[in-house]
Amino acid sequence: MKNKKQLLIAVLIGLGFVILPLLIEGYWIRVISSIFMYGVVTGALNIIAGFAGYAAFGNVVFFGIGAYSTAMLMLRVGFPWWGGCVIGAILAAFFAVVVGFPVLRLRGHYFAIATLGINRAVEQIALDWGSFTGGGKGITLPLPQMEIQSFYAMIYFILFGLLLVTLLTNFAIARGRLGYALRAIRDDEDAAEASGIFAPSCKVIAWAISAFITGLTGGVFAYWFSFIEPATVFDIMIAVKAFVMMMLGGAGTVMGPVLGAFLLELISETVWGQFLTIHMLILGTIVIGVVIFIPRGMLHLFRQRFSLSALIRNIKNQSI
Amino acid sequence: MALLEGKDLSKLFGALAAVDQVDFQIEAGEVLGLIGPNGAGKTTLVNLVTGVYPLTRGELYFEGRRIDGLKPAVIARMGIARTFQIVKPFPGMTVRENVVVGALFGKGGAQRNIKTAFEEADRWIEFVHLQDYRNASVDRINISFRKRMDLAKALAMGPTLLMLDEVMAGLNTKDIEEMMALVRRINRELKITLLVIEHVMKAVMGLCQRIIVLHHGRKIADATPQEIVQDERVIEAYLGERYAKARQRSA
Repeated sequence: MKNKKQLLIAVLIGLGFVILPLLIEGYWIRVISSIFMYGVVTGALNIIAGFAGYAAFGNVVFFGIGAYSTAMLMLRVGFPWWGGCVIGAILAAFFAVVVGFPVLRLRGHYFAIATLGINRAVEQIALDWGSFTGGGKGITLPLPQMEIQSFYAMIYFILFGLLLVTLLTNFAIARGRLGYALRAIRDDEDAAEASGIFAPSCKVIAWAISAFITGLTGGVFAYWFSFIEPATVFDIMIAVKAFVMMMLGGAGTVMGPVLGAFLLELISETVWGQFLTIHMLILGTIVIGVVIFIPRGMLHLFRQRFSLSALIRNIKNQSI
Repeated sequence: MALLEGKDLSKLFGALAAVDQVDFQIEAGEVLGLIGPNGAGKTTLVNLVTGVYPLTRGELYFEGRRIDGLKPAVIARMGIARTFQIVKPFPGMTVRENVVVGALFGKGGAQRNIKTAFEEADRWIEFVHLQDYRNASVDRINISFRKRMDLAKALAMGPTLLMLDEVMAGLNTKDIEEMMALVRRINRELKITLLVIEHVMKAVMGLCQRIIVLHHGRKIADATPQEIVQDERVIEAYLGERYAKARQRSA
């Protein structure tokens, strides 16, 4: 019964987002599209960082690869935008497999630092290979041949669709063999291997799925903004924000990361818009607050039913 | 043919020989004890068999197939399971989810789906009498329960050989009795061959048909329990005069 009720609520929320573009104006369509985009990036990060516990801070590299692949394929080969996105996603996943086998042998901070290095290296290639990528000046993509309002509406639905796919992927992983393997690896990798889990392959598969989704999103982003530069699409802040969203909502859960993305991006658009200079301060405060008081995320608080008393208990435990 | 055979096993950590030229065999169906002072190389030997550490020298055979050099997960899937001296549960999961990992990825796990794996897990949870705690989070249960959960996870892997690394350590007298009864059932009813590392001598003497003694990485004795307790080198290296005298008096 409880599951049916939850499903009904989920379907109603989904339908709400489908009819929402009829009710809101251009600015809010873009805001909600951007929330969807972060929901997708965070959901993708959750697969490697939330389930498997590998802090892939450099995950934004796949976003950049997807964006640049889409741009290059559209401009230099004449691909349609969606073709560019799909090929870009495949390239990102392939890249994750190639670097994953050596890099995923590292654990903890070492892995996190290595992914940062990879992101910087790929960004540098995009910067220095100016004749092909346009270098630091960035590059303009072919403009869509349609009215701007319907274009934004299309992007809205594409990102909404991607969000649903990401949620379903997370759901399938959480319920399936891969999910148990990844959580076992996160909790104790040696014990996981002793239980018969092929940890290296599981980690690489998880990272490749994460990279595929992130790459796809990068491609959509490039088409959406029709101008990209290395500093934007390889911006480490995209990954940091995704991390905060994931932690805020609940790492390693299905709905948590998306919930976190909605909350933080909504705050970011409505509140920080007024405080351009101190919004990093607010972000920092949220990060510290989350890791100290709700390290397991909001979803965990909700699950404890008395969320307020659970929060107070957490705060009390911390002050000892 | 022995179920597990180690030939001339050595493991060097730098200049230290943690395991030094050890030959041993485990016959199918037996309960073999492995004792020795702290740092004698008992756990290292288990880590060599399970593929956690590569061998410096020597050869390992399981069911006649050479297994040294294989990955831990491959060896686990062949039917060698272990428990850990310091229990390694998956703290983010419930008791049931911990055990299901063994059912999903151990020997025969590839044939199971999530549903049948959970049924298998429930079977082993009942076997170790943890059914009342199956949905408890691991950090909410005490050490005795965690040891039994670790045992259930290892059993869910469907092992032919199970290596128990100090399953009695940290348990009170009553829990030790219960654990000994479980270990006996595992050997007699389930026909699982056991390697038992233990400091609780009552358990070693009561369970094992044969005992190997390690000291500074070397095998110094390999005999029945009755012979072991009278072996001069074993008394000197491990059991101590007091234990030997106490046994003589009680005998």
